[in-house]
Parts: sequence; structure tokens; C-alpha cells
Amino acid sequence: MLISSSYSLISTFNSWLSSGNILLNILALIAYGIFISIILSVYDYLFGWAERKIIAKVQLRHGPTYVGKFGILQNLADVIKLLAKEHIVPDTADKFLYAIGLPAMMAISVLLVLVLPFSPYLQATNLALGLLFVLVLLSFMPLFIFVSAYSTGNKFADISAQRSVLMMLSYELPMLIVLASVALLSKSFNIAGIISAQSTGWFVWLMPIGFIVFFVAMLAELERPPFDFLEADSELIAGWLTDYSAPYYALSLFLDYTRMLFGSLIMAILFFGGWSGPFLPPIIWLLIKAVIISLFIIIIRTTLVRMRIDRMLKFGWVWMLPLSLVNLIITYMVFIH
Amino acid sequence: MHLMRVVIDVPVRINVGPIHPSTHGVLRLVVDVEGDKIENMEAHIGFLHRGVEKLLENRMYMQACPHMEKLDYFAPMSYDELYVAAVEQAYGIELKEKAMYVRTILLELQRIASHLASIGFLCNDIGQLFTAFMWSFKDRDMVLKLLEAATGTRMFYVNMRIGGLVRDLPPGFEDSAIELLDYLSKRIPAYEKYLEKNPVFMERNKGIGVISRDEAKNLGITGPVLRGSGVSYDIRKNKPYYVYEKLNFRIQVRNEGDNFARYKVRMLELRESIRIVREALKKMPPEGSAVGMPIRLIGPPVKNKITITERELPRGECMIYLVADPQRPYRAYIRSANFINLSAIEEMCKGQRFADIFSIIGGLDMVMADVDK
Repeated sequence: MLISSSYSLISTFNSWLSSGNILLNILALIAYGIFISIILSVYDYLFGWAERKIIAKVQLRHGPTYVGKFGILQNLADVIKLLAKEHIVPDTADKFLYAIGLPAMMAISVLLVLVLPFSPYLQATNLALGLLFVLVLLSFMPLFIFVSAYSTGNKFADISAQRSVLMMLSYELPMLIVLASVALLSKSFNIAGIISAQSTGWFVWLMPIGFIVFFVAMLAELERPPFDFLEADSELIAGWLTDYSAPYYALSLFLDYTRMLFGSLIMAILFFGGWSGPFLPPIIWLLIKAVIISLFIIIIRTTLVRMRIDRMLKFGWVWMLPLSLVNLIITYMVFIH
Repeated sequence: MHLMRVVIDVPVRINVGPIHPSTHGVLRLVVDVEGDKIENMEAHIGFLHRGVEKLLENRMYMQACPHMEKLDYFAPMSYDELYVAAVEQAYGIELKEKAMYVRTILLELQRIASHLASIGFLCNDIGQLFTAFMWSFKDRDMVLKLLEAATGTRMFYVNMRIGGLVRDLPPGFEDSAIELLDYLSKRIPAYEKYLEKNPVFMERNKGIGVISRDEAKNLGITGPVLRGSGVSYDIRKNKPYYVYEKLNFRIQVRNEGDNFARYKVRMLELRESIRIVREALKKMPPEGSAVGMPIRLIGPPVKNKITITERELPRGECMIYLVADPQRPYRAYIRSANFINLSAIEEMCKGQRFADIFSIIGGLDMVMADVDK
């Protein structure tokens, strides 16, 4: 009942979008925005809680237990606390850049929604070059980390900024080449096209090397361990976030999980057949896949030691880049040629 | 312009600490970095100075034990024992055999607890999210529980008296100790498997903070750090005390002199300590009491006016130079292994990467309370 009514709702909105009436178009987009916000908030909130619980289980602890059942309201309490605290802007900060850095990153993350579809009927646009758009948005991230880090005027943040450039050099290129081989294999830059090309077999089976390289690059993109050089808590205190306090810090936490959601969604779409799957509605399938990938990312966090930044550069150029090229060549020779 | 300032200041001078997540307390390192490389480094200490040596001069002999314990809060009993042994030497008191065995057992259990903690800290410092830390602390806690059964407290024991201990080992101690040792001898290979098969862990420790054999000797480094640099020196063997002569164990030495060697020496010493405790439990005379003298305000006449007592503590060789008066020490100088070992940090860090500072601190196993005294 719920599914069929939601389908009728979606088709109503879609008809509004294609009606040509500007007012109806705007209404449909607002409805889509509300839907995305709900998904984002629920995911961010639940993963904020789940990450603490999972890590606690691995570490033989309990995690949050007091606030709400199983401590599920703990993060809400934390966010309320952070919002209530004094927001301190350091004297050394470049006030303008300091103010826009984190919100800009959040905006860029959310912009990914424009091209990432949740189901065949639930998407904002259907760009022909959607994959390129994703890549452009992803490469904006290190730039804004760099800007926010320098804007605080903190020396630990300065080191973090230098590291962000080094890191971008090491993982961006392999990631791009893997994306190229995905486009080559599906003969399309369109996200829906990539998903329909996987109806015969997921790309993770067709190019496992490519997936591994992409996954590692994605971990680096998301600043997840073992590549959390920028926030390296035992070295740089909190890296580029050292001087961000109260509401901005809450925003950074929110940003962290939002990026993880989009990272997982991109991987689910490019390698795990996106929304395709039997019985359940497409959006459920896509979210299930994304959640499993996110859980995997969290479990990696509990076990691995942080790499060193210069080794990361070496790792990127000596291993990831050749492997991604090998993947591209194999893809071309086996599946296209 | 703000951005310009950053470009001009090369090398950048950074204050690491005294408030920093992984300087093991209040160590302040002034580091000059060019990019990620350490050009120069200077260690500043003294933020936790409490004047323990002066405190000892103002207390009766047996009132000073709690102060000694707080020097190294990961091996409090070892420091307690060092001080009491110094007082015993001043008074010329011999221990009963049972008391010697019990002290040896408790000290080795304390060493196990301390080394387990240090392995957890090392993993934490090189950026693992508390997992190995929590696991090793769980195992350390089991050792602490056994020590609690033996002494009555979990952490600061104050369990030594002149001529023995406060109380005998409780009934059933041997069985629970052997049970614990069996468990630990299964856990230690598990740690090694978990850490040494992890390429990133090896990368972060191999070849980091190398200090050569000669340099280590010149700087006066002791303990696992010295043995990691290939010098076979251990007070338990070289100047044996208590029953260490009668027990069968080896000095564990590695020749690399890097951070991994220090970690590995600790791992091997854990095994040796387990062996020592097992053997001591077997050889311990079943009868007799280990209880020492009750606390008296006015002690017996001092036999040796000036004494030097050395002990192998978990973090290295510690020494007390004691000038004794009848009631209280006239002067007590403490040579703490941590302070001397810390003097090597500038040598070790020069030319390394910024991230390596923290693996080196973890490898040195600093306790700042001990450094600052």
C-alpha cells in the first residue's frame, strides 16, 4: 500500500516536472529536496550512532547507552550541546574564508544529488555526462579543505592543507582512470546508462582490480582510515578542523557522514548495479547496497593503522596508478576489442 | 595577506604539546618542519614537576612509598619496590627467601602489565583508532585484577614493607596466576599476528627513529630501548637481585635499533616474564611468611650511610642514591629511565617525517610523571 501510494506520488511529481509549468516544476523540486534531506538526515544520524556502536563492539566496549534506547539519542544530545556552545573564531583566521569553507563543502556534497539517481523515477536531472559532473564535484573537495585549513591560520591546519594537496595528487588520477574504464565498459557517461549496462553483470565482477583501486581512492577521498592524514588525531590534533568549534564542528561531523553516503552511493552505482535487484523497490536496493559499503568502510576504520603521507604518495603512483591502467587495458582488450 | 604569511615562514616552527593528544602527558616538543620533514627539534620538560626528591626528604621512610608510586603510574609497584629496597640496603636488612620470591613474582606481573599498556599506546600513537589499545588494556586489566587479589588495590599498591610485604599472597593465588599466564601466552602471539602481518604497522615502525649501538650507550639509554639497539644489558642479569640468579631467562636483544626493535623487545620480554613467573611460582617455598616489619616512626640505626640501589624497571634501569638519616632520607636522588631515554628523542627524530614523532614517542614508552619527577 505504502509502496504503491509512494509510486503514485512520484509519478505525480514527475508529471509536474515534465508539464512545463514553472510553478509546478519548482514545487516538484522542493518536494524532491525535502525527500533528499530526509534521507540524508536519517542516514547521517543513524550512521553517526552505528559507527560509535560498531567501533565500541570491536573494541570490547559498550558505546553510548544512557540517552535513549541503546544510546540512540546520544548523537542528538551531542549536536544540541555543540549548537549551544560558544562559536569561537580565531584571531588569526581569514574571517570570510573561515565562514564559507565548511558550508561550501556541504553544498558541494549535496550537489551530487543532482546527478545521483535514487531510482529510475527519482532523480533531479538526467545529464548525458553525469559521470563527469560527479568527478568535477569530487575534485572540488580537496580544494575547499585546503581553503578552510589555510583560513584558520593554525599551523596544524597548515600542515593538513599541504597534505591535502599531496593526497589529491596521489589518488585523483587513478580514480579518474577507473571512472574512464567504467565509462568505456558501459559505453555511456550517463548514470542511468551505466546502471542499465550492468543488467548482465555487475562491474565489480568484470573489473575487480578497478573496483579495489576505486575503493582505496574513495577511502582517501572520504578521509577515512587508513588515509585520514588530514584529520590525523594523534598527529595533527584535528588537522584542518582544529580551530573549528561548536556549530561548525557539528557541521563537519554532518559533512563527514554525508560524504560517506555519497561515496557509498557512487560505488554502489558504478560497481554494484545501482538500483537493480529483485522484489524490493529500486530505492531500497540502492540504499541497502550503499549501507553495506558504508559499514565496510567503518569496519576498516577499527582495524587499520594510519599510513604516512609520503608513503601514500608512493602508494598512489607505484601501485594504484599502474593498476588502474592495467584495469583500463584489460577492460579494453577483453570486453571492447 | 594571510596566505602570504604561510608561504614565507619556511621552515615552520610548531609547538607539539604540552597539550596534545599523543605526547603521553605534558611533553612539549618545539619542532621545525619543512613540509613534512623535521629539520630540528627541541624537547621541553618540567610541566609535571612535583619535587618528589624533596618530598622524600620531608617524610618518614615508609611515608614516601605513595609518592614513589606516582612517578610511573604504569609500573607503580616497581618504583615502590626500588625505594623500599634502597631503604633496606641502608638499614642492612636481609629478606626472607619467601619474601624474595613473592616480590619477584609481583614485579614480573607488573612488568607484564606495563609492557601490555605500552603496546596499546604505540598502536594508538601511530593512528589506530584505539582497537589494539582497548584489547591490550583488557589483558592488562586481568593482570591488575590478579595484583589486586594479591595486594588489595588495583593500581597504587603501597604493598612493600621493609623486610617483605604488607601481606602474604592470598590462598589460591598460584592457580589463578597460572590460569592468567596460560591465557596471556595465547594472547601474545595473537597480538604479534595482528600487528606484524599488518603492512602499514610495519611500515610505520621499521627503520623509524634509529639509534645506533654506540649512540645509545653514549646517551645512557637503558631498558627495552637499549636492548632494541643491540646492547645486551639488563640489571636482572648483570647485577642480579632477589632470586633472578636462580631463575632461567634470557636477555632479549634486537640489533636494528629502530622503533620496531623496541616493540619487538617488549613482546619478547612479555614471554620471558611469563616464564619467570611460572618458574618462580614453582620454586617458591610453600612455607614461611613474606610479611615485613611493621611501620615504626623511629627506625633501627642506619648501617650504610650512602647507598646506591639499582633495579630493572619496565622502562629501563632506575637507581636511587640514598643518603640515610635515622628517620628520613637526608637526600634521595632518583635516576629515572624515562628521563634519560627521552634525551635521545632529538637524535631519533631529526630527518624523520612529522608523523614519525609520535611513533617514536610510542616506541620510547614515555611516562611524563617519571621524566619531570
